[in-house]
Amino acid sequence: MNNISRRSMLVSLGAASLGAATLGLTGCSSDSGSDDKGKDLSKNREDAMDKFGVNEQFKAAKPIAFTTLLNDNPGYPEKAGWLFWTELAKRTNVTLKPTVVPLSDYENKRSVLIGSGSAPALLPKTYTGQEVPFVASGAILAVSDYVDLLPNYRDKVARWNLQGDVETLLQDDGKYYVLPGLHQDVWIDYTFAIRTDILEELGLQVPETLDDLHNVLKAMKAAHPDSYPMSDRWNQPTAGGALLQTIGQAYGCGYGGGWGYQNATFDTAAGKFVLTGAMDQYKGMIEYVHTLVAEKLLDPESFTQTDDQAEAKFTSGKSFVISTNAQELVNIYRPGLAKSVPNGKVAKIPVPIGPAGAVKVGLRLENGLMISTKARDSKDFVAMMQFVDWLFYSDDGQIFAKWGVEGVTYTRDAAGNFHLTNDVDYVGLNPTATKKLNVDFGFSNGNFAYGGSTQLLESTFSQEEKDFQKVMNARKTLPVPPPHPLNADEQEQFALYEAPLKDYVQQQTLKFILGDRPLSQWDAFKSELKGKNGDQYLSLINGAYDRYKKSKAGGDKS
Amino acid sequence: MSTTRTVDLPSDAPGAGGRSSARTRPKGRVGRMGRNRSQGRRTWRQSLRRDWQLYSLAVLPLTFFAVFRYLPMAGNVIAFRRFHPGGSMFGDQWVGMRYFRLFWHDPTFWHVFTNTLVIGLLTLVFCFPMPIVLALLLNEVRSRKFKKLVQSVSYLPHFLSTVIVAGVVMQFLAADGPVNQALHHFGHSPILFIQQPGWFRSIYVSSELWQTVGWGTILYLAALTSIDDNLYEAARIDGANRWKQTWHVTLPGIRPTMVTLLILNIGTFMAVGFEKILLLYNPLTYPTADVVSTYLYRMGVVSNNFSYAAAIGLFESLIGLVLIVSANRISRRTVGTSLW
Amino acid sequence: MVTLDTNATIEDRPTQPAGIRTTRGYRVFQVVNGLILTGVVIATLYPIVNIVARSFSSDGYIRSGKVNLLPRGFNVTTYKAVMTNSMFWTDYRNTVVYTVVATVVAMVLTTAYAYVLSKRDLRGRGVLVGVAVFTMFFSGGLIPNYVLVTTLGLKNSVWAIALPNAISVFNLLVMKAFFEGLPVELEEAAAIDGLNTYGILWRVVLPLSKAVLATMVLFYAVSFWNSWFAAFLYMDHSDLMPVTVYLRNLIYGSTNATSVGASEADASALGANIQAVTIVLTTLPILVVYPFVQRYFVSGVTLGAVKG
Repeated sequence: MNNISRRSMLVSLGAASLGAATLGLTGCSSDSGSDDKGKDLSKNREDAMDKFGVNEQFKAAKPIAFTTLLNDNPGYPEKAGWLFWTELAKRTNVTLKPTVVPLSDYENKRSVLIGSGSAPALLPKTYTGQEVPFVASGAILAVSDYVDLLPNYRDKVARWNLQGDVETLLQDDGKYYVLPGLHQDVWIDYTFAIRTDILEELGLQVPETLDDLHNVLKAMKAAHPDSYPMSDRWNQPTAGGALLQTIGQAYGCGYGGGWGYQNATFDTAAGKFVLTGAMDQYKGMIEYVHTLVAEKLLDPESFTQTDDQAEAKFTSGKSFVISTNAQELVNIYRPGLAKSVPNGKVAKIPVPIGPAGAVKVGLRLENGLMISTKARDSKDFVAMMQFVDWLFYSDDGQIFAKWGVEGVTYTRDAAGNFHLTNDVDYVGLNPTATKKLNVDFGFSNGNFAYGGSTQLLESTFSQEEKDFQKVMNARKTLPVPPPHPLNADEQEQFALYEAPLKDYVQQQTLKFILGDRPLSQWDAFKSELKGKNGDQYLSLINGAYDRYKKSKAGGDKS
Repeated sequence: MSTTRTVDLPSDAPGAGGRSSARTRPKGRVGRMGRNRSQGRRTWRQSLRRDWQLYSLAVLPLTFFAVFRYLPMAGNVIAFRRFHPGGSMFGDQWVGMRYFRLFWHDPTFWHVFTNTLVIGLLTLVFCFPMPIVLALLLNEVRSRKFKKLVQSVSYLPHFLSTVIVAGVVMQFLAADGPVNQALHHFGHSPILFIQQPGWFRSIYVSSELWQTVGWGTILYLAALTSIDDNLYEAARIDGANRWKQTWHVTLPGIRPTMVTLLILNIGTFMAVGFEKILLLYNPLTYPTADVVSTYLYRMGVVSNNFSYAAAIGLFESLIGLVLIVSANRISRRTVGTSLW
Repeated sequence: MVTLDTNATIEDRPTQPAGIRTTRGYRVFQVVNGLILTGVVIATLYPIVNIVARSFSSDGYIRSGKVNLLPRGFNVTTYKAVMTNSMFWTDYRNTVVYTVVATVVAMVLTTAYAYVLSKRDLRGRGVLVGVAVFTMFFSGGLIPNYVLVTTLGLKNSVWAIALPNAISVFNLLVMKAFFEGLPVELEEAAAIDGLNTYGILWRVVLPLSKAVLATMVLFYAVSFWNSWFAAFLYMDHSDLMPVTVYLRNLIYGSTNATSVGASEADASALGANIQAVTIVLTTLPILVVYPFVQRYFVSGVTLGAVKG
């Protein structure tokens, strides 16, 4: 699920930025352009708090219930007796009535429920872009019309300067339809894991740049001529998902290749969108990876093998470099390696720097919450929005969803650091404990706990991971591309161009990398993209972007 | 011998009513929809009066088809109307043939359509006859225990999920997997099977074969047991050897089963295994592996375009229907066996 | 049409009538045949044995790809973990209930309709067959089906699984073919004895059709046992899900949840052999029940003799 979610987060940036017209987020959205009828909430205030502000405890006037969809993770299957439910009811007077949907096919069921008009009021775990298909029918609430009911949300957007990020959610009508999870900083998790004992053995430094990495791989190959020093994984749903994303970003082609690949990248110098696959930077990425393959430094199976196969090569000591994230390092690589190569050591290295410099790319939005339009007519609507704001956006709500109940599941020391209570474990922080924070109590549940401040995010990280984050946090974050919202007709056309174009670029990318097609044919490839409707695709996006710019200018004048 | 009865004459062919002599039944069916109205109505009334109990048995099943099959079919109207998820399930506005034009002019669609035909055809060519061969081989086995063992084992893959089958295939064909180890043994350099478009179809078809061949024998083994032993006896007296017996007695005996399954297979041949292809293909093998269903899936993930999908779905259904009706007709004309 | 005497589908009749003179060529063939079939058995078994071996192996060996035909680092920890999970058993019980109810409903409807269709001289038979065959190719989309089931109030009940899939046209046609192959004389005699249509079906036809009935029960039961989509769609609580949905979620979770991306909270570390364990546990019952169904076919054999 998570590599997909990661992908969705990035991939959908393109799709998400569909929306035109003017709309600032907090300031003007609440009073501009919304008709009074839609805004009359006098009949929907039952059980709500008269005054609800930043970091205030929400509590409904009497016990009420809201329906919600719940993405059921097999790692911590839903239990009716979770402390999360009971404590939530105690604190807020709200009982959540979940429709439990297995994680494996969550999107399918959500789509059917909305499509058939029987969706619950709250629809969590909606990745950016997934709301777009539902906009036209009006089944999903334009939440941007109601942000004035969400003081904590507005506060965080303003304080963390997330305006630009949130604007990428705008639709053609100038509104947005999903309440995103908000991160204080761009959070980079994917990079390479490397066998540090081999580095030491060969007297090498941890590579800082892509060139360093190339040299390290060459040295490893020289010492172990029979092996491919690097053999990579993560080929679902996109081949070379993590590898090409990381290297592509380092070369400066938007969100990179692999999972990050988007057909269009915003060219700041030219002030318009260009085809990512035809960018020189993209070619640079291909050349780099092709060199690794041609010099037999990178296993050609890296782009098609299963994760299991790649993990096996790494943990059995056949390969020395592999893509990783914090979880895989701790859960898979270390324990696996310990069994077959007892003195093997592995570490997560800071993302190697490429021609684009010490930058990081990403959106500070996380999957979020859609709200059914039907809920707008409920007499408890205002109470529900206040409840949502408290649980998902207030500091207390976020701490509650992640860490649980102070004294029961966690304690805080004088410095404000979180510690699990003795009998409670989470991601191996407290290995001797018999109970798990998510399995037995329902906290740190992906439906309710995400985003938040860097401090909260890192509160569950190991020291090693915190060090990694420190290096990454010091890098400059590139600006997000401007919105280019498509209207319904364009959207339909766009969808028909999108997939074939993307498929073709990915397929040819692999051919170039693996040497099935010589790089001398690069120009031929660029003109082939035209045959795949590349030009029409760009004119759709750039047209929408121009429209957005104009309406924005017009809106600012008035 | 029952095989004489296996010829299913079209019900309105002369003589088809011959067997029903026990009940007096009007012959010379007033065929197609009241060529003679008054006579037709009377016949219907007579039929109803005589066979009402039989018709009553069809009431529940017909209700099932009406409610659970035909009623939802009305939703296909969205192939001609623009549908917004969450809006009316019958779409919001007429767009005529828009979605049909869209895919008709989509070169990728025709590419995946061709792939679908090729993979469908290969599956038919290999996965249809192999169960027959296996059933015939099993039929020659003398040891009951061995026969039972082969049967029980060969049914097993039918129960495994596609995810597992795909995982096993990937493992087998990996650069250091068993197949490449064997190749290495013969001095061949490793082949990256999974990356080469040229190998995809063979891989797909053989894994399909592995999964279905055993289970597919069930119906043939059943048919084999119904062949009259006297026929073998007669053939032996005529001096037929084992091979000739198979050719002249066994095969004709299971022919109706074969033809029925062949017709059904032809009709469903556009519906190649979506899940397995999705798990086995990658961008490098799209040229041969991408089929209509996987293409729609990739389109769908991005766009949730139900109307477009409905249009392609209708097109596929139409092809399926034409195929099965023609196959049925040809089969009725040539071998006298048919589904209806 | 098909003469489908499923009698003894699986059970052997003596494959070779007594007294046959075997030639040398035939004996060679027997040996070759035996070798081919042994090959089939090995090719089929290898991956399956591998799964069973994995289910008893420890994580390290599985991850390093060292488990082949025998378990390495033998343990039953995952079995214990899965089998002590109450949700697993709840879902298991659901699967049994859904399979039984859905199979019964399917058998009743399919048998009734197949019998009607097998009457060649029945007026309107062509139309009745057409009504069924047409649905093999044209169907409604996901959303209309969902609205239908919801409107009928079938959601969160076994009927949401049993009713929408009550007739498989494939099975219907197979059964119709079998009925067509039955000797008419018996039915005619029964009619003369004064039995009505229902009586004939119940007392004469069905007893003659045990073999095909058993095959159809097997076909339906296996497909309902393995199905997951209807339950996934129409059930809203995890304690109503069949074990297939549980399994699917587990496999999906264990193959993907470890690669945590956007949401750190989804972390879950499941044993590497949990897939294998759950597959073994869910497939086992079919294999256990199977011999009993097989034995039931035997009674079909003797009845098959009536035919000749």
